This record gives sequence, structure tokens and C-alpha cells, in this order.
Amino acid sequence: MNVIGAILDHGSRLLPFALLLAAWQGVAGSGLADPAFLPSVGAIGHALIDLGATQSFYADLAVTFGRSLGGLALGAVIGIPIGTVMAVSRQAEGFFGPLVKATYSLPKTALVPLLILWLGIGTATNVVAVMLATLLPFVVYTYHGIQGVPRILVWSARAMGVAEHRMLWKVLLPGAQHAMLTGLRIALGFSFVIAIAAEMIAAQTGVGKLMFIYGESGSYNYMFAAVAAIMLLAYVADRITVAVSNRLLRWDDIENRLG
Amino acid sequence: MLVAIFLPGFSPQLMSTSKIEVRNVSKQFDQAGSPVEALADLNLTVNEGEFVSIVGPSGCGKSTLLYMLAGFIPATAGRMLVDGRPVTGPGVDRGIVFQEYALFPWLTVYDNIAFGLREARLPQREVRATAERYIRLIGLTGFESRFPRELSGGMKQRVALARTFAYEPGILLLDEPFGALDAQTREIMQDELLRLWRSTHRTVIMVTHDVSEAVYLSNRVCVMSQRPGRIVQEFMIELDHGLNREEMVLSQAYTAIRNAVWLALRRQVTLASPRAQ
Repeated sequence: MNVIGAILDHGSRLLPFALLLAAWQGVAGSGLADPAFLPSVGAIGHALIDLGATQSFYADLAVTFGRSLGGLALGAVIGIPIGTVMAVSRQAEGFFGPLVKATYSLPKTALVPLLILWLGIGTATNVVAVMLATLLPFVVYTYHGIQGVPRILVWSARAMGVAEHRMLWKVLLPGAQHAMLTGLRIALGFSFVIAIAAEMIAAQTGVGKLMFIYGESGSYNYMFAAVAAIMLLAYVADRITVAVSNRLLRWDDIENRLG
Repeated sequence: MLVAIFLPGFSPQLMSTSKIEVRNVSKQFDQAGSPVEALADLNLTVNEGEFVSIVGPSGCGKSTLLYMLAGFIPATAGRMLVDGRPVTGPGVDRGIVFQEYALFPWLTVYDNIAFGLREARLPQREVRATAERYIRLIGLTGFESRFPRELSGGMKQRVALARTFAYEPGILLLDEPFGALDAQTREIMQDELLRLWRSTHRTVIMVTHDVSEAVYLSNRVCVMSQRPGRIVQEFMIELDHGLNREEMVLSQAYTAIRNAVWLALRRQVTLASPRAQ
């Protein structure tokens, strides 16, 4: 029963993708759209296999992945401390709060042309763009996570002899784990989006640049194949993040687990 | 006494024999810009090894008093002395147990109970021995590596009690510790608390709204007034604590004192809200 159940469960998860591909193929095959602009699923599949056979494609994937993770790591290293001091110090909240609010809705890709001026075309601009985009999720989720730690837990720790300067490690950060891992997952999604977008205008390498070149030259089947490859990579990275998060959060209520 | 007066920082209060002294303590909160008087001119003395319960109408400030003794919030006026020294903040000489358990959800049963012991920088072997002893004492052997979310309310409260007893604070402050439990679990936990208290002889102040619980457990029950709260009546409970629960609860002495405390509390509840009469 369990095996059948598992198959059905997986099947039902794959069903939306199958329907999407079927709809795509239906539109592409119906002649409603010019096949040059909307290649068939088969053509994209062939292009993907083609790309998979070339060494340089893996190099591009690795470059894009590296820029995403590099920017993400920088965003965490800078964003988590800012969110932390904002949560524990009123002065820091007064200082960073308005900055966070003012820049929250700013599309970070809009800064890429400026970054090109400062940092030139290449990895530096891409990594900084990703860092800027992932900074705020880390700041905001760390801040709210720490603020959300029940006062009664801090009191308990104080009563048991935890000094104020150790409260962060003993209570506040462990209590904020859930929110911080949610922030990480959101930031991870951003990191791929921004890395690809920035590569399109500010890089000579990477999957974003590759998509741009294929798009410019009208090789849409290859462009979509590159999109599919990066989607798969982002999906795997997300699933790994969720699996690791849920392992770390095994103490938390089941309904709070990341999906 | 004379010597004491001339030594700097050596105040006559050090000579007092009581464990806890609350003298003319008042507390005002600022609620939406207007001051609310939670406690007014409250006095309370608790001796070493005594089990004192405080009952009072909801919102009378009894939990506030406990939090002030714990050092979480300061008094607006008056003095609070523990072992003759003024309370200036939290300290490991005063342990607290909350109604909501306040266990660290990311720590296992074992790590929650060991928390205070590790904070006290005890050697690893001692931490282990003490934590294991308390886990046995509360009957949770086999549950050491469970997280709080995997426990029932009664089990969580056992862990919360054990966590606080384990690092041996001289004073235990219990804030409606069994308020969230069902009636049967409550009785079991009350007897468990009695057992723990008798085997360690700490000083206990318990806040509760359950008169039967207060009378069953305490040496003395204090009745508080409506807000601003102060202690308006005290009952010495001189019952034979050698009796088991059934004998005790069915005895005339218990019933008489329970009724007297109930009536005193009811007077306080109905004073300010005539509709409850």
C-alpha cells in the first residue's frame, strides 16, 4: 500500500508539470504561435541534450551557481548581524530601520548599471548585485525572528544565570532559527533571479549571458533549454535547503516545517 | 548591632531572619499613556523553608509580585529583600516556574534540565548525574531525547519543575504552575511538587487561583485584594501533612480552612464587581 501511495503521491506532484508541458506542446503544435518563437517541447529537449554534451555549458552553470552562492553568503554575513543588532538595540533599529523600509521595494536589478560603472563587467558586479538583493531577506527575517522569541524564554534564561551578553547565543538566535531559515530560502530564490538578470547585462560568462546570446540570435529552443537547466538547478538547491532546514528544525511543530 | 551600623554597606536588614521580605512595595504600569496601579503598599514576609501561596482575584497583580521578586521587573516604590539583600535583578538564588512551562523548544528534555546546571559551570559528570536523577524523579526516563513539542502538558510541566529544582535555587517562585493542566494531571503534579519540596526543603511562593490547591500544598495562604493589589488576609494552614490526599481532602480541618479561604477570596472578588454576587 505504501509503495503505491508513494507512487501516487509523487505522481500527483508531477501532474501539474505534465499538464504544463502538454499545454505548451498543444499551443506549439497547433500553429497558433510561430514555432521559431515558441519551440516545441521536443525541440527544447533536443537542445537541452545538446547543451548537456558541451563542456562550456557546465562551466557557465558553475559560474552562475558560484555567483549566486557567493552573493548569498555575503548577504548572510552582512544581513544577519544587521538584523540582530536591530532586534536587540533601539538605536540600531532607529538607524537601520528607515534604510530597510526605504530600500525594501527597490528592485535591486535597477542598480546593476550603476554597479557596472563602479565595478565593471564581470563577477564582482554580479556578486554584489546578488548580495544587495539577498541582504534584506536576511535582515528582515533575522530581526523578526529575534523579536518573536517569547519574553518568557529570555526571563527563564536570566533566572537560570544566563548573562545578557550570552543571551544571543543561548536563546535569541536558537529561537530565531525558524525565521532565519525561512529568510535563507527566500534569499536563495532571489539569488538565482538576480544572478541571471545581472549576467544578461553585466557579464561575459554564465547561464544568464548564454540565455541572452541565444535570445539575441533567435535560438529560442536553446534559450528555453538554458532556462530549464537553471530551473532544475534552483529547484535542487531549494530542496536541499528545505531538507537541511527541516533537519535543523526537527524540534519545531510539524506544521511549521518548510514545505 | 552597633558594629553593623558602622560598617559601610552593612545594613541592619542583614540581621533579619526571614528569607524574603517585601516592605511597602508599590508598582505602577504605564498603560497607553495612563498610569495603572498594580500593587499598592504590599507587605509580605516569608521564612526559610516555608511554602506560601498567594490567591487573589484575576488581575490583582499577584504574578507581577512574583516577577518583581524574580527580578524581571523593578518595583516603583518600597523594598524587597532576599536573604537580607535588596533584589536588583534576576539571580540563581530564585528559580521560577511559569504556567506556560517556558521550556526551550529547541532543546531536548535532557538539555532543558541540564541548562541551569551547565550555566552554573558544574563539571560535566555532575551535570549528567543531577540531570539523570531529576529525569528519574519525574518519571521521564526514556524521554531524555524528546523535544518539548513531543510531550503532554503534564510532562512539560514536570520538566519545567525539574529544570528549576535541578540547579537548586533556595527560593522557588511558582506562577500558576498547574493552571494549564487538566484536573487529574493537576492532582498528580501537586503531589509530585510536594514530594520534591519535602525532599529539598526550599522556600516556595506559589501564585494560584485555585483555593483547594493553595490549602492542600501550603503552610500559609495569603489573600490579595483587587487591583491595586495588597495582602488583606493570611491563613496559617496547620494540617497534618502526613495524611495522604484522600484523608486530607476529606478531613473536617481541611474543609473548614478551605471554606474560610474561599470565602475570603470571594469577598475580594465580589467587592469590585457587584454583578458576581
